[in-house]
Amino acid sequence: MRRDWPLKSSELFPAEEASLARPDGPFPASESIIARGSETSYLRLFHRLRARLVANNTDYVLRQSPLRIITILLCSSLIWWVVFAISMGGMTYLRSKNIYLSGDLIGIVFNILFLALTMLLVFSTGIILYSSLFTSQEAAFLLSGPAPADKVFAYKYQGAVMFSSWSVLLIGSPILFAYGFVEHAPLSFYLLMPVFFLGFILLPGSIGALCVLLIVNFIPKHRKQILFLSGALVLFVAGYWGYETLAFTPAYNWDREMLSRLLDRFSFAQNLGVPSHWMTRGLQAAGRGALGRSCYYLALVWSNGLLLYVLAAGLSTRLYRRGYNRVATGSSLRRRYGSAGMDRLLSKLVGFLHPQVRLLIIKDFRTFRRDPAQWAQILIFTGLMSLYFTNIRRVYLGEVDWAHQNGISLLNLCATGLLLAAYTGRFIYPMLSLEGRKFWILGLLPMRRERLLWGKFAFSATGGVLIAELLVLLSDVMLAMPAVAIGLHILAVAVLACGLSGLSVGLGACMPNFRETDPSKIAVGFGGTLNLVAGLIFLSLTIGLIAAPWHLYAAGARDPDQIQEANAMLVIGLQALVGTALGAMATVIPLLAGARLLRRMEF
Amino acid sequence: MNEVLSSRTWQHSMISLEHVSKTYGTKPAVLDLDLHIQPGEMFAFLGPNGAGKTTTIKMICGLLFPTTGVVRVGGFDLQRDGDRARQLLSYVPDQPYLYEKLTGREFLQFIADMYGMDREYGLRRMAEVIGLFNLADFVDELTERYSHGMRQRTVFAAALLHEPRVLVVDEPTVGLDPKSVRLLKDLLKQEAQRGVTIFLSTHSLDVAQELADRIGVVANGRLIGCGTLDHLRSQAEMSGSLEEVFLKLTDEKDVQDEKGLAVEI
Repeated sequence: MRRDWPLKSSELFPAEEASLARPDGPFPASESIIARGSETSYLRLFHRLRARLVANNTDYVLRQSPLRIITILLCSSLIWWVVFAISMGGMTYLRSKNIYLSGDLIGIVFNILFLALTMLLVFSTGIILYSSLFTSQEAAFLLSGPAPADKVFAYKYQGAVMFSSWSVLLIGSPILFAYGFVEHAPLSFYLLMPVFFLGFILLPGSIGALCVLLIVNFIPKHRKQILFLSGALVLFVAGYWGYETLAFTPAYNWDREMLSRLLDRFSFAQNLGVPSHWMTRGLQAAGRGALGRSCYYLALVWSNGLLLYVLAAGLSTRLYRRGYNRVATGSSLRRRYGSAGMDRLLSKLVGFLHPQVRLLIIKDFRTFRRDPAQWAQILIFTGLMSLYFTNIRRVYLGEVDWAHQNGISLLNLCATGLLLAAYTGRFIYPMLSLEGRKFWILGLLPMRRERLLWGKFAFSATGGVLIAELLVLLSDVMLAMPAVAIGLHILAVAVLACGLSGLSVGLGACMPNFRETDPSKIAVGFGGTLNLVAGLIFLSLTIGLIAAPWHLYAAGARDPDQIQEANAMLVIGLQALVGTALGAMATVIPLLAGARLLRRMEF
Repeated sequence: MNEVLSSRTWQHSMISLEHVSKTYGTKPAVLDLDLHIQPGEMFAFLGPNGAGKTTTIKMICGLLFPTTGVVRVGGFDLQRDGDRARQLLSYVPDQPYLYEKLTGREFLQFIADMYGMDREYGLRRMAEVIGLFNLADFVDELTERYSHGMRQRTVFAAALLHEPRVLVVDEPTVGLDPKSVRLLKDLLKQEAQRGVTIFLSTHSLDVAQELADRIGVVANGRLIGCGTLDHLRSQAEMSGSLEEVFLKLTDEKDVQDEKGLAVEI
């Protein structure tokens, strides 16, 4: 129901003051003008707002940076097709070999997939929802308006679930499409698939939302510790379980008994009370054309998802505003920060640089380490890669031939290079743009402007070299690679760290965006996308010139110790030299171009 | 009029804070604030940085809840009946929020829909505020391209669009050119004359002196003076400008606090 507009002045402020005074309650006049918007009007309004924002943003991106859209679409398509091809190959193999319990194996893969996605979505939706409900400027704006808390919650919840579940679509859908093709599933399977997905994302999304609401309301002071501890607990349990399973599983010589025992280790994922199992059963039933059975599981997924959502939305009417208040005022107004041992260590590490450059590096490092959103992503990826590298020895070394060992080592180098490219593209490229609003002080300091660039370059290259060299050494030592390979890998990583840092800092100065304050938005803009593409090309060329020739040559040898032919080593050495020269160019040219532009720049 | 106003209780007040205290962790931000503002009154809230002004404003808007005491707007308790209270008010923060990927017109339309305004009336009011704040030149551009002044004018247009009964404004003149400041002052006067209650937090003492019916001075979370300029002058035992009175009152408060601290130690 809408209120009557316009309001008459007499309705707003009645002439008789006496009528305003109500010892027993609020103004009668104010009651008469309260809008009692219907339940759906706010939801419709927020849907319209989201649709308008998406339309305007798409239009803007299409006009300003079509390259970004093309890159996103190409990368997404590539990932989709790779996952599809691997899934198709795996499932066709299982079917063609008529492997014992192959149906259950696929079921187990689905169970694990949906269980992993559930955990991932609980965490990602929870984290996104926390920031969008409690710390964003938009939340403060909406909460100071007339919309009820549960409507604001619903709007934010939908946004968080949509944002966090795109990975489900990108990784889950090609696997299911492959399953459908291999099983010759009927059309109803493909039609039911999105309905299952929509119901499924409600479940972990709502669990994440419930956790966030409860944590900020009842243990607001320890919310970060709880998030960290629960994440660490999940990783520890998953890591321990994975280690135990790997220790128990041979790479070859499988038999029936071994397979049955392996399947038993996955029994927890097949519990009837686990939502991931409902998804597996429902989709498998749909694949077989058993519609009734499939709809039963679909109903289970949806009813539980909706129940949890209603619970979260209901709770939000009482707890959202209360939680917002607690987050905003739970800790002291001021927090003292001081210098840390890490700052002093870094200062010593870069002690050979000009004192002004050193100060700028420490400033950037402090900003970086005080923003968990920045370093947490690097920590997670580095941690995962370290975990993988420390486990490869047991899996591969004893039971895989040299050719595979050689290939895996090269792939690990590529993965480390990709991590570096992501790090420099996401965190280093926006750094100069972010200085825009502080340029009134940096620009007036008694130092040459290009020192800003050198400072950022040194900060990036130091961090990149330290992390990436450690990772690649770990991988090579675990794989017991020959000394020549290790040396070439160390060189490749050093060239990559310097080249990618030079590209990101230099291009960041050539194409600054001083209006934007969000580094993620700067990273995905036109300049950021161009930097990412340039970085990937540089990565391919560097590995192609420095490391790949040795690996290709070594692939033909049966024994790595025999790879010592002088002529071959000379060619490999020359190519490595060309790669290093390319790295030097990628470092120096963008930095010089950036420095020239920075000197001329007006603020 | 103002002496009468100050003696009234919440039943008569459009904004009422009854013995309100607020702490951040263990640190108090607002202490035992008792304040009642009448319909149509323009109230200026002054205080040094960190005195508790923004915290008080956020409690009036229902963004923060008092640790003790009650905040009411239009008689509605913000904690129990906040949605109804917020229907009556508009809040212009010191750093206003605009959806960067909406045009000014789309933002105004969103606000009109948010307050459930009838479509025809909403369009008419939009045309009025676009004219009033001279937004026509840029109202169809994305707000991310707006300068500070353009953003501020758009936010004020949005705040007045639904004809609120209470207007809460935090530092409205920061970054505005003299012409815009004049426009804003005239507008606030007009709104107050129309009966809108205005709660104005500012560091611009000349704006407060020129516009306010009553002035409240807050320091270290406590209301150390409240009334007309003459009332504050007599409290400060001096006859000067608001700036001189303000400085004397806040300096005295600092000295008292230091003495209190010394006694405690």
